[in-house]
Amino acid sequence: MAATAVQAPRSGKTESYVDNKRKDDIRMANIKAARSVADAVRTSLGPKGMDKMISTASGEVIITNDGATILNKMEVLQPAAKMLVELSKSQDVVAGDGTTTVVVIAGAFLKQCQTLLHAGIHPTVVSDSIYKVSLKSVEVLTAMAVPVELSDRDSLVKSASTSLNSKVVSQYSSLLAPIAVDSVLSVVDPAKPDLVDLRDVKIVKKLGGTVDDTELVKGLVFDKKVSHAAGGPTRVENAKIAVIQFQISPPKTDIEQSIVVSDYTQMDRILKEERNYILSMIKKIKATGCNVLLIQKSILRDAVTDLSLHYLAKAKILVVKDVERDDIEFITKTLNCLPIANIEHFRAEKLGYADVVEEVSLGDGKIVKITGIKDMGRTTTVLVRGSNQLVLDEAERSLHDALCVVRCLVNKRFLIAGGGAPEIELSRQLGAWSKVLQGMEGFCVKSFAEALEVVPYTLAENAGLNPITIVTELRNRHAQGELNAGINVRKGQITNILEENVVQPLLVSTSAITLAAECVRMILKIDDIVTVR
Amino acid sequence: MFAIRSSDPILLNACKGFDVIICKMDARHSHIYPYVERSSSFICILGLLAKTEVVMKSGINEDANGNLWRKPTETIGAWQTGVETKSVYMNYDSMSTKVKVKFRNLCDENLENPNLIFIITVCSICPHSRYIEKILKDEATEEKGERARMASFVGAMAIADLVKTTLGPKGMDKILQSTGRGHSVTVTNDGATILKSLHIDNPAAKVLIDISKVQDDEVGDGTTSVVVLAGELLREAEKLVGSKIHPMTIISGYRMAAECARRALLDKVKDNKDDAEKFRSDLMRIAMTTLSSKILSQDKEHFAKLAVDAVMRLKGSTNLESIQIIKKAGGSLKDSFLDEGFILDKKIGLGQPKRIENANILVANTAMDTDKVKIYGARVRVDSMAKVAQIEGAEKEKMREKVQKIIGHGINCFVNRQLIYNFPEELFADAGILAIEHADFDGIERLALVTGGEIASTFDNPESVKLGHCKLIEEIMIGEDKLIHFSGVEMGQACTIVLRGASFHVLDEAERSLHDALCVLSQTVNDSRVLLGGGWPEMVMAKAVDELARKTPGKKSHAIEAFSRALIAIPTTIADNAGLDSAELVAQLRAEHHKEDCNAGIDVITGSVGDMSELGISEAFKVKQAVLLSATEAAEMILRVDEIITCAPRRREDRM
Repeated sequence: MAATAVQAPRSGKTESYVDNKRKDDIRMANIKAARSVADAVRTSLGPKGMDKMISTASGEVIITNDGATILNKMEVLQPAAKMLVELSKSQDVVAGDGTTTVVVIAGAFLKQCQTLLHAGIHPTVVSDSIYKVSLKSVEVLTAMAVPVELSDRDSLVKSASTSLNSKVVSQYSSLLAPIAVDSVLSVVDPAKPDLVDLRDVKIVKKLGGTVDDTELVKGLVFDKKVSHAAGGPTRVENAKIAVIQFQISPPKTDIEQSIVVSDYTQMDRILKEERNYILSMIKKIKATGCNVLLIQKSILRDAVTDLSLHYLAKAKILVVKDVERDDIEFITKTLNCLPIANIEHFRAEKLGYADVVEEVSLGDGKIVKITGIKDMGRTTTVLVRGSNQLVLDEAERSLHDALCVVRCLVNKRFLIAGGGAPEIELSRQLGAWSKVLQGMEGFCVKSFAEALEVVPYTLAENAGLNPITIVTELRNRHAQGELNAGINVRKGQITNILEENVVQPLLVSTSAITLAAECVRMILKIDDIVTVR
Repeated sequence: MFAIRSSDPILLNACKGFDVIICKMDARHSHIYPYVERSSSFICILGLLAKTEVVMKSGINEDANGNLWRKPTETIGAWQTGVETKSVYMNYDSMSTKVKVKFRNLCDENLENPNLIFIITVCSICPHSRYIEKILKDEATEEKGERARMASFVGAMAIADLVKTTLGPKGMDKILQSTGRGHSVTVTNDGATILKSLHIDNPAAKVLIDISKVQDDEVGDGTTSVVVLAGELLREAEKLVGSKIHPMTIISGYRMAAECARRALLDKVKDNKDDAEKFRSDLMRIAMTTLSSKILSQDKEHFAKLAVDAVMRLKGSTNLESIQIIKKAGGSLKDSFLDEGFILDKKIGLGQPKRIENANILVANTAMDTDKVKIYGARVRVDSMAKVAQIEGAEKEKMREKVQKIIGHGINCFVNRQLIYNFPEELFADAGILAIEHADFDGIERLALVTGGEIASTFDNPESVKLGHCKLIEEIMIGEDKLIHFSGVEMGQACTIVLRGASFHVLDEAERSLHDALCVLSQTVNDSRVLLGGGWPEMVMAKAVDELARKTPGKKSHAIEAFSRALIAIPTTIADNAGLDSAELVAQLRAEHHKEDCNAGIDVITGSVGDMSELGISEAFKVKQAVLLSATEAAEMILRVDEIITCAPRRREDRM
């Protein structure tokens, strides 16, 4: 209302003063909110980090160590806190790993910002300093990194297992890491060596067994039973596979239709016709030599009927029904075949070939495996097993992280030491660099250099070590030129972390720093929250 | 005459039983404000004041029509006259304005005593007074005169203050938190975006938002500056009104000042249209200046180059439609790039060629499933399964026919807005035609535009359908996603900017920033006049306006002076936002500008006064001119307001 506007304070001179105060408050409130988010995930950092149990509104329970997942489920409302959640998501997109690290670093930066702002430094100066820190950090990190070749499988496995070590499934890292490496390497296209499409790696989860039973399948796995009614085959050798997008069931038109039956004989005839219709279809299929059918799911009509199953069984054709439409592309790529949308187009050249298609019993369920595919496309499938749903889900998330780590290495072929070594080295070098900078920026850079110590500090803290002793010793060792000294959480002391095989891709570290810096800068630049439609 | 000194006890006695109008004579003001005790009509003045007879009659007539009166809203309190008045209501509607005219004569006679208080008695018996109170509908309210003006000043200034901190290269961002579903969050620095999404109830504030929108549509940039300048103009006007200068005087002063400022700018513009190289560097500078206040400031050179390249391709057209911006999360802002041609964020159908040279493209919006009988309740009755199969076959045949017709156009690429189902997809694949389904509407319209085709929906006359052409279609990968790239398109100026960035917040803001830069550049290509930036134009204008003020006689000069102060507020704000000592800097700047041909402006990076032409900070003349003129116009419009009527909200039907 206009009347309320009149009542608002409108004194000319004091106004700017009052406003500035309020803006400071908003900035501080934002920083506080964002920091509390960072604190929430801090304890899950590192190999001895703890897990969080999340119970969602729908009553579902998730146990995870993955920063992105925790934050995603947290349903924060404060806009600045939301930005931290987004930050973690971005890291997930860019690097796939280090989703906790990035939030912890952002939190530490924000803490320093608070002090700096209190000291009366203008936010834009602080923001510029952070930008400089991030540029310099990338430089330092790149200088520290060790190049790696894709043929060097051991190094890749090491970095994948570093990522897996901080997860619930860490005891299986020796199994999962090679799986991750092999599956990524097998989908790399020699023509485009820098690109990896993780959609070409399919993860199939199946309850039962333990994580130990997880395996890499060179071929296809369906979490489905073979549809068989009357003694149809469940194992086919020398399979000729057709992916069809039509249904083997009585015809149905788009126009509403009804069959008018007026007497008994007609009914008989209709049944016979139906049988003939299906039989003719199956004959056409059989004529091409096809012996495995993958049928796309249809919402309009049944993929198969009892009758058609019966005939298919007689024709010794194995049927898998209800294949999702989204999977068709993956399947056709893997089998090197073409989907068939109409019975008229059913031709031999559209089929795919495989050595064995079989139904395998796993625990209480069954899956269908296709192996020994001829001219297989560049795809792989990983069959993940787990004793309960929670472990299974976490195993899948961990495997995804490991896959991302390997992908990072394919994109940017450099490795860097883990265990807090790069962060402490950054802190040291930035500290030295800050001394040659002029003005307030030098001061700011110095405090951000200190902020980076949060990673080794938290690592030590989470591992139950005395963080102050450890970080001091670490700093000392780095000052003596031991670039790769890091925290060995298992032994509880400082060792050369490269020798301990704790390595991670350079991309994870650099993107963590740059993304955290970008996010903090954004938060700093905000001076007001406006409620809008 | 019934004008009597207020302290007169005889009159007070005489007033008993009557309602009273008290008028304060004010020599400096040519008008007086009548105050009416209790709601009443002027009916009795008719008899009492011979001079006002005619006016009063018309007043009553209008009154009887029920258009003029309103319920008094607020008690102002006892008037400081020595007269004991119980309650006084302010009344400032059009009827009393007419009274005012006549009173003015009266006023002139008594000018020697400015604080003379007149009490005019009015009879309380008035047949209209009952319903007069309810002329406006329930809940409708009205603000008048001083109060109305106040409300608009405050509203407009509040809006200006809100966006003020986003001005300049070190301006701050705002979080826009949506109250709608999802509570989505936007972080932005763009004045127009902030203002667009505000909840506003104050009409004057709406005027400012409108000028910001217009600025966005017209020139694309300067959306914050225009609001800040208008706000400052009003702030100055408020002071002037406070010192009893009539709004119309202020307005005419502002007009003169604005014209003078525009001429000052015109004198200083540079035009490098003829020198292609210099012109390009001008464009680069403008783009960098625009971008430096945005999120892209760190990579401004990269983006300035992108924007300039894109705009140069347009060859003078301002149709930004043919520049497509695609946002893809992942990577960093630096990975953004400009690509000639057109990119469609879709997948190629299964088993179809991934690469086509010399493509003939048919862009369509048609349903690819069976053409159904669209009559409700239509159904077929058959008596055997074979016939159902026949119908199904016929349906399939219809689909096939349609596909054959489409193929008959001699195309090798088919883009449809609606879904292409499995069956036609396979047919297309068999014919070696690339089919893209479910393209978004915006996408196909643009595609049709850039490839020179037309969107078709019937396929019976191949000769009447205009096909699009391009040299090469191929699938490319950006980040994680596969996209379809059309290169060598018919419309040569078309290009695509692919933005990469860490998160959607960044991408959205980057798109807005880039859009601003593109708008400004495309305007500059047409109107190549260029100015320096960094507060330089404001100082030039302020100097010229100041000189004008000195030359102008009369009250207007106050307004002109005020205009110059408002102009200086812009460099002041830029300095303030950067955390610099604005008073010192602006004073220095003003001293610099006292010299002839000075290029001084605020160098925010070093925090001092610097040479803008050396620093390469430029702005487009068109933007500055639009800022100046629309801010002045908006301020003028708000100044003219003396009444705000808020209509009663439409009542919602109870949906029980």
